[in-house]
Amino acid sequence: MPGRHRVMRDSLISLGRLLRQLLARRGAALSIAFLVLVGLAAAFAELLPLDPLAQSIADSLRPPSPGSWFGTDELGRDILARVVYGARTSLVTAFGAVLIAALIGVPVGLVAGFYGDWRDSLLMRGIDVLLALPNILFAMALIAVLGRSQSAALIAVGVAGIPGFARIARAQVMALRSLDFVTAVRGFGGKPAYIMFRTILPNALSPLVVQAIVLASIAILLEAALAFLGVGVPPPTPSWGEMLRTGKSYLYEAPTYAVLPGLVLTLTILAFDTIGRALTAILDRDETDASGVTIGGRR
Amino acid sequence: MTAYVLRRLAQMLPVLLIASFAIFAMIYAVPGGPVAVIVGENAGPEEVAAAIRRYGLDRPMVIQYADWLGRALTGDFGLSLHSRQPVLQLIGERLPATLQLALAAIVVALAVGIPVAIASAVRPNSWLDRLLSGWSALALGVPTFWLGILLILLFAVELHWLPSASRHVPLWQSPLDALRSLALPAVTLGVYVSGILARFLRASLIGEARADYVRTARAKGVPENRIVGLHIMRNAMLPFVTIVGLMMANFIGGAVVTEAVFTYPGLGRLLIQAISTRDYPLIQGCILVILVAYMLINLLVDMLYAWIDPRIEYR
Repeated sequence: MPGRHRVMRDSLISLGRLLRQLLARRGAALSIAFLVLVGLAAAFAELLPLDPLAQSIADSLRPPSPGSWFGTDELGRDILARVVYGARTSLVTAFGAVLIAALIGVPVGLVAGFYGDWRDSLLMRGIDVLLALPNILFAMALIAVLGRSQSAALIAVGVAGIPGFARIARAQVMALRSLDFVTAVRGFGGKPAYIMFRTILPNALSPLVVQAIVLASIAILLEAALAFLGVGVPPPTPSWGEMLRTGKSYLYEAPTYAVLPGLVLTLTILAFDTIGRALTAILDRDETDASGVTIGGRR
Repeated sequence: MTAYVLRRLAQMLPVLLIASFAIFAMIYAVPGGPVAVIVGENAGPEEVAAAIRRYGLDRPMVIQYADWLGRALTGDFGLSLHSRQPVLQLIGERLPATLQLALAAIVVALAVGIPVAIASAVRPNSWLDRLLSGWSALALGVPTFWLGILLILLFAVELHWLPSASRHVPLWQSPLDALRSLALPAVTLGVYVSGILARFLRASLIGEARADYVRTARAKGVPENRIVGLHIMRNAMLPFVTIVGLMMANFIGGAVVTEAVFTYPGLGRLLIQAISTRDYPLIQGCILVILVAYMLINLLVDMLYAWIDPRIEYR
């Protein structure tokens, strides 16, 4: 089908243009820079002279100093090292959760919106049930069953993100399915699965990318909250939420213990949130000043 | 309206039924299941077999569920595996504390969120608007548990004004003690909710301010504070109430976390304790009670609708 590759290429171009528009905004550019820094530190943590597990009881609960910028924890471990390795826990959980949510949520939304018959009612009722439970409760219940582990936290956070993707994918399909280019592919004899995933999906990417970024900030917050409650990633794996949980016990002895990891966590959440809001603003503007039909972010 | 409320209450039943069955099935699926907790880790095979027989755990799951449901309908949610006390009694002891915290947090949220929204909506894109919008973003983005820790550091550790761990003191017994204990948790949770209120009420107010009836009112010479307070506010409340209803799930999640920060003896901490000790009847009871509360809040939000906008008719 001749149109397919053009549509794919155009949606990639529109993502590139989106990135350029993002970088033109100060808040979003700063946020991207911060996240790149955190991401690089997490990815190449082994190259840094930091050990998150080395204990030294004699050096426990030290305040920040030139030798250890964030001080040490109750076992004398370097807090900065644990923050860096904790970034890995946070980002891996967020990435995995977004992946799970998208891989399940998007097909569910596509099928529901494309057919709009009993399949729609069935799938969306299922989504409503998921939506009816506050996501932290759902995650806690799931972890109670699966036991405490990083994969349990990842699955719990991911499942909580399914409804968001399903609803957006469904809305996109319903907006796109009767447009000319879809009718054309149908006329060429395109099968439903082909139309959903190769024709409609590439044109619905922009709002789904925004949702992925919004969900990343929610996932990082949720993972940290679970760890803070003591049901997240089990120790000794460094996790920002777990550090806040332990740091809270030493507020009098070492106030920076809970404050500094919390600051990094907060900045990461705010960065994702800022990018998500900037993207929404850019896409909204695209929609409103478009003359004629707007298809996702592409005119 | 009464018929509407009754029908909504009736609609809650199937959801509760499905949710309770889902929770039951999840617990049933746990490797080892409740037996492992009941008999302890070092139990021999005879003890495990005895426990299975005593609690009827060898019956099909659906039968066990029907049995549990039958007793739950009469208000018997079973005994906590840990403390051997009735689940409903344990929940009943914690519920007033959580309700008091929730109410206090809502008061804080309204007192902060509504003025912030109005101040920023009156002159959109002014320096004040940008400042306050930044504040809303902070209120939403800062994790409640970190904000709580910062407040404890400032008001308990540094200034010694307020206690770092909160007890539950009923407001009518000793109002001053209750407020001292509630202040930090209520502010922590309230600030987060005020961020939600401010962000959405601002958007709603700005949308309404462009409407024709506002121009008409201005042309008639209606004073500006009357236009904002009476005309715009009333119409802006509608979409706003919808959002607030949707955000209630976050509120409940925030309450669970806030209770953990301040070691506040509410329902959220009971649930966390239940999960860490694998106290399955208690987990099930807590989740169901929180779910009922959540659905009742949503119903209340929908009823608020009709009160704000008499044009809406419930059938």
